[in-house]
Amino acid sequence: MTALVQTLVNGLLYGGILSIAAVGFSLIFGVMSVINLTHGIFVIGGAYGALVAWSVLGIDPLLSIPPLMLVAFALGWACQRLVIQPAVERGNPVAALLVTFGFALIAVNLLTVTFSSSVRSISPSYSFINLRLGDISIDLVRLVAFGCGLALIAILGSFLRFSRWGRVIRATALSELGARLCGVDARAVYAMTFAVASAFAAASGVLIGMMLPFTPADEVTWTVYAFIVVTLGGVGSLGGAMLGGLLLGLVSTLTQTYLGAVYTNMVMFLILLFTLLVRPNGILGSAFKASR
Amino acid sequence: MTTTDLLSVQGLAAGYGGALAVRGLDFAVAPGTIAVLVGANGAGKTTTVQVIAGAIRPSGGTIRFDGETVTGLDCPAMVDRGITLVPEGRLIFARMTVEENLLMGALNRRAAANLARNLDRVFALFPRLAQRRGQLGGSMSGGEQQMLAIARGLMAEPRLMILDEPSLGLAPKVVAETFGLIRQLNAEGITILLVEQNVRQSLQLADRAFVIEKGRVVLSGAGPTLLDDPFVKTAFLGL
Amino acid sequence: MARRITILLLAVLLIAALTTLPFFLKAFHIRVGLSIFLSAGFAVCWWLLAGFTAYYSFGHTAFVGIGAFAAALALRAVPEAAPALQLAWSLGAGLVVAGGIAAIIAWPILRLRGHYFTIAMLAVALVLGEAVAAFPVFGGSTGLALPNLAPMGVRVEAFFYWIALALLAIVMAVAWVISRSRLGYGLAAIREDEDAAQMLGVPTTRFKVVAFVLSGGLIGLIGAVYALNLGYITSDSVFRGSLSLEMIVNSLVGGMGSILGPVIGAAVMTGVTKLVLADLLEYHLAITGVLIVAVVLVAPDGLVGLWRRRRAQSAGR
Repeated sequence: MTALVQTLVNGLLYGGILSIAAVGFSLIFGVMSVINLTHGIFVIGGAYGALVAWSVLGIDPLLSIPPLMLVAFALGWACQRLVIQPAVERGNPVAALLVTFGFALIAVNLLTVTFSSSVRSISPSYSFINLRLGDISIDLVRLVAFGCGLALIAILGSFLRFSRWGRVIRATALSELGARLCGVDARAVYAMTFAVASAFAAASGVLIGMMLPFTPADEVTWTVYAFIVVTLGGVGSLGGAMLGGLLLGLVSTLTQTYLGAVYTNMVMFLILLFTLLVRPNGILGSAFKASR
Repeated sequence: MTTTDLLSVQGLAAGYGGALAVRGLDFAVAPGTIAVLVGANGAGKTTTVQVIAGAIRPSGGTIRFDGETVTGLDCPAMVDRGITLVPEGRLIFARMTVEENLLMGALNRRAAANLARNLDRVFALFPRLAQRRGQLGGSMSGGEQQMLAIARGLMAEPRLMILDEPSLGLAPKVVAETFGLIRQLNAEGITILLVEQNVRQSLQLADRAFVIEKGRVVLSGAGPTLLDDPFVKTAFLGL
Repeated sequence: MARRITILLLAVLLIAALTTLPFFLKAFHIRVGLSIFLSAGFAVCWWLLAGFTAYYSFGHTAFVGIGAFAAALALRAVPEAAPALQLAWSLGAGLVVAGGIAAIIAWPILRLRGHYFTIAMLAVALVLGEAVAAFPVFGGSTGLALPNLAPMGVRVEAFFYWIALALLAIVMAVAWVISRSRLGYGLAAIREDEDAAQMLGVPTTRFKVVAFVLSGGLIGLIGAVYALNLGYITSDSVFRGSLSLEMIVNSLVGGMGSILGPVIGAAVMTGVTKLVLADLLEYHLAITGVLIVAVVLVAPDGLVGLWRRRRAQSAGR
């Protein structure tokens, strides 16, 4: 019984991280209909940014989140304006996808050259502390990361719900022409969406860097996980990303405990496939497009 | 064409890809009037008004608005100058509330400054929308969605309001209401350019009407006069 | 008619020239040629589905993996047979098993459209890759070894060079025949507007399934050769996401508009990677990335499209 509760707790904590790591991908997919293969780069880039801040400058990873988000915001903006938007305007459905793939190749190469391909990790002073709650033990770092993840999702949610930019982004996703006729500059909206999504991807990367060891090549994993979370929960909605992330976290931890670690990914991918075949718009449906 | 026209379009050419939906189109709208474009499906009406609203870039011709050449400007620039298009199919934001939809209409600087006043005015004009301000746009009936689309357009404080097929898919009673509303808006000083397939009702309304065929104006005149034109009678009124 | 004969003659000459090439080349360059033929073959098979129907699969490496493991397992059943028989048997296994599995998943997966189909194929490849890694039948993480089937006295790389060349010629011929058939026109109609095609009486489901099974089966066939050439396969080496991406990238770089697109794309990308970037191994990924971005932005219809546009321009002048 204790083992089960412990597994569930671990699964939820891991799921929270999967959720925050997917919201940026979800936003771009929902608003621009672009499958953004640079997503994992921004996640892993956030982890390496935090590593540099911590090991070179001695800054606590949590404190490095705001400046890293600013950097990622600027990089995301530039990347969208200079490369991805021109590709989107080519009109070929996969042109944008390919461009993001090319960009990811360049970035992962630069990361590997800069940091080597060996495994890195960030362990601030409060690592390796376990909280005990009866028979259940909770890793402090994971709890902190989980809390920060929820806070970040709440911030993004408020931005989309209440700010002027958030409203314009949602409107453009619902009807690009309708928004343009209201006087919206759609290109600026797409750049803003990409920049915001990149900033939140980088923030999630810092949290991931605190919890798990990482290499440049891990970017693919985080792009694929974001894919699964978003497909499972539904495109474009934060609620969907939360639900998808938590479910996936639980499934992954339960599989690992009761079936064996080799089956974890297989079960996750099977769930992705099954969801696509049964309910392609995810459990909550698409936040932006009418349900089919 | 006279220099006093609010909108004048000369030799307009536009289209998607290689094919031109509009070629050599000329017409003008005098300030304070109601102008109507009629024509069969695919005649190029929607393309024409989307070019005027800045949503499609023209491949030739000139558009002048209030004495200024505005050819090829984008949507934000057109909205700033006072041109607002209420598009075919309404294109309201279905998963946003009525109030959020209206706020989207008030993005330009002029309209943003007068936001509170315009909101009151729109809610006075459409009490239904005031009752449903917190409801999702997509959950309302077709007639209510059309009202919302017009109200959103009004939030931008247009000088020229273009309405593309506002009566499409509405019940006859609602259509009559919509035409009444257009007349009322015009009386308040907004110049109207109306695109309609509902030829009889819209011609009765029109100070000036233009019949478009294959991307060109083939006939023009005062609306009620055109109702008696033999070509209009056979082509559009089934007489 | 005269033009068609010229093209046919040129093709025969080209194949003859390519066939004799290994007698004059160093082993390294023969291997480059072999890599080009294999990746061109994969790209043409991917294009067989995507180019005709605009169903962009993100997981065609699944069929490479299936073909490879089918060949490896099939060879275990006949350890004593003559090498020529073993070769035919293993290639047949790759073709039939990959085609069979494609036929099984075709119906549910082809109901999905656009991005959903793309992601679903990615999921298929991931599931199969993980399953092969997890279950001991497939050698688990250690993988499976395949025997060397090259006849005595023939260089291994030349042997596989010829086989890969032959298979490339076959899949190109298949694609060409389809493009001239009722099937090809039906598939093109699906690409332009699937709903309209269905209303015009095109049996869309049947046509899509046929294209999918052909595409998957032929990749399985080449996948068997891929495995035999490697001599040793694991889940990671044949169920590789980058294999799927290479098929897409090569087709888009060359151009989706014609059957030559995937072949030219594969030749350029593989050639550049193996020959030009061989000394720049450290920056090889980044340069590939720059190439992809540049091609998408400068030549959106691929190299073939760029060439056609140039020619149309100079003809117009």
